[in-house]
Amino acid sequence: MAREAEIVSPRAGLVRWLLGGWALLVYLFLFAPIALLVAFSFNANRYGTFPFTGWTGKWYGQVFGDYQIRDALTTTLRVAVTVTIVSTIVGTAAAFPLVRSRLPFRTGIRVGMTLPIMIPGLLIGVSLLVFFTNVLHEQLSPTTAAIGQSVYTTPFVLLLVAARLQGFDISLERAAADLGANTLRRLRHVVLPLIMPAVFAGALFAFTLSLDEFIITFFLIGGHNTLPIYIYTQVKFGITPEVNALASLLLAASLVLIGLAFVLPLAYRRVRQAVVLRRASV
Amino acid sequence: MSSGAAVSPAQPRGAEAARRRLSLTQYAGFLPALVLYGAFFAVPLGLIVAYSFWKVVDYNVVHQWTFGNYRYFFSVSTYVTTTWATAWVAALSTALTIAIAFPFAYWLARYVPKRMQRVLLVLVILPFWTSYLLRVYSWLNILGEKGAVNRFLGWAHVTDHPVSFFLYDRPAVVLVLVYLYFPFAALTLYASLERFDWDQFKAAMDLGATPAKAMRKILLPQIKPGITTAVIFVFIPILGEYLAPQLVGGAKGVMIGNLIANFFVGGQYTRGAAAALLIAALIVVLLVIFRRSLEVEDAYGA
Repeated sequence: MAREAEIVSPRAGLVRWLLGGWALLVYLFLFAPIALLVAFSFNANRYGTFPFTGWTGKWYGQVFGDYQIRDALTTTLRVAVTVTIVSTIVGTAAAFPLVRSRLPFRTGIRVGMTLPIMIPGLLIGVSLLVFFTNVLHEQLSPTTAAIGQSVYTTPFVLLLVAARLQGFDISLERAAADLGANTLRRLRHVVLPLIMPAVFAGALFAFTLSLDEFIITFFLIGGHNTLPIYIYTQVKFGITPEVNALASLLLAASLVLIGLAFVLPLAYRRVRQAVVLRRASV
Repeated sequence: MSSGAAVSPAQPRGAEAARRRLSLTQYAGFLPALVLYGAFFAVPLGLIVAYSFWKVVDYNVVHQWTFGNYRYFFSVSTYVTTTWATAWVAALSTALTIAIAFPFAYWLARYVPKRMQRVLLVLVILPFWTSYLLRVYSWLNILGEKGAVNRFLGWAHVTDHPVSFFLYDRPAVVLVLVYLYFPFAALTLYASLERFDWDQFKAAMDLGATPAKAMRKILLPQIKPGITTAVIFVFIPILGEYLAPQLVGGAKGVMIGNLIANFFVGGQYTRGAAAALLIAALIVVLLVIFRRSLEVEDAYGA
């Protein structure tokens, strides 16, 4: 296709190179700040910036030795696990009627269900703050933060699972029903194995989003700290190499988790195919 | 074996009943979402609406209706100018983001082999899935008097004394906002460009259209929903930005999100609610106007 385009316009070759150069600049723009952040975390310079005065890993040692950071990490993980469980269950369950039933106002419901990711998190944060403190008279805690985050992460799971269900051949389920499988068995043996990759990816996304969430947590966590909140309180006093190191670790964790979310569904499909083939050959 | 024989005559009716039951149980799937969204999203937002019209007497919120909170907001000139500035910053950042993302998405959809497209796209959206806070924070290493740009300029003897390289001002906010929301725009624009049939483009030029004309008459009308989605999905979150103006904007880069946050942190719930409702209302209006062309799934790569 590209070659044909060149024949159509003699300048197409030039345009193509210019656009390619533009794309290169875009990638540079996207990754340079992150790369610098990681580089500075290994810089021996006490002020966490230029010039480079040698490589060191000691900032990472300080990160692991800091009890405040360990505390924040525990809170972060506790919240993230809760959020993952809640949003995976709620999002997956809601994906079924969204895709399959003949609902009136379907587009409206679709947009409504994705509203929590479209409106600024600030609004979710402040409205829940008022709700928890003035209506429920609930003490702000990691639990209230987890509820707030779940409102925001659930639509992501919902979108992923709904997309998977959309491409799902419903006659498979009908066939199972015709063969006498009840709802539970159909769910367990036909539907779940097919949507599992999406559910799993959704769970990983929810976990990562929770790990990194800032604004909702900021209003709802009360006296506790998650890692992003901890970093924020530190940044207000200026950049330090320790914060750069902690930031790099958090970045690495997110990247690994998201990488898994992209790769694991593919691997899962391959393993399942292998299992099915082996069963068939036996 | 006998059970199998017993089932078979009843099969069609059984399957029909199962199908009907299936549709009923399917509605049940909404139940947990209804609880979560209802109790912790819809009700709190409704509460904010109510608060914005309620009075405060002796530090207590009383359920008396008033426009006082709104009147107060518009009576303070810095609040009004901040609101306008927010709209400006959001519009400018959105325009810049689209302007940078469009040539990129165009290149990706048209000139890159299909196999590579997915990989390059994942590379673009990868930053989106990393910490939002850290993506803002990473710019503090670059901008500012002690930032990488200044140090580099000093080292290269371009300047003798550090220029306050636009940290703590609006340009820094715009730059960081473009950085933050670029993945959204690139993804959405790519999704609509990817569906475009480039043969139509060729056909138009075979019929004598210049490339510019073919783009205006053939390409743009077809990808308009994608552009609308990109604009909306970049513009809306920027309206409620708190962190970017807070960290890189300083006192000169304040946006309405910072005002709202300050009201709530300071315990002025009713006044904060009024300010929050101003952006909420604007967002709802935008979503209603553009609801038909929004492609939610495209923006999140689902």
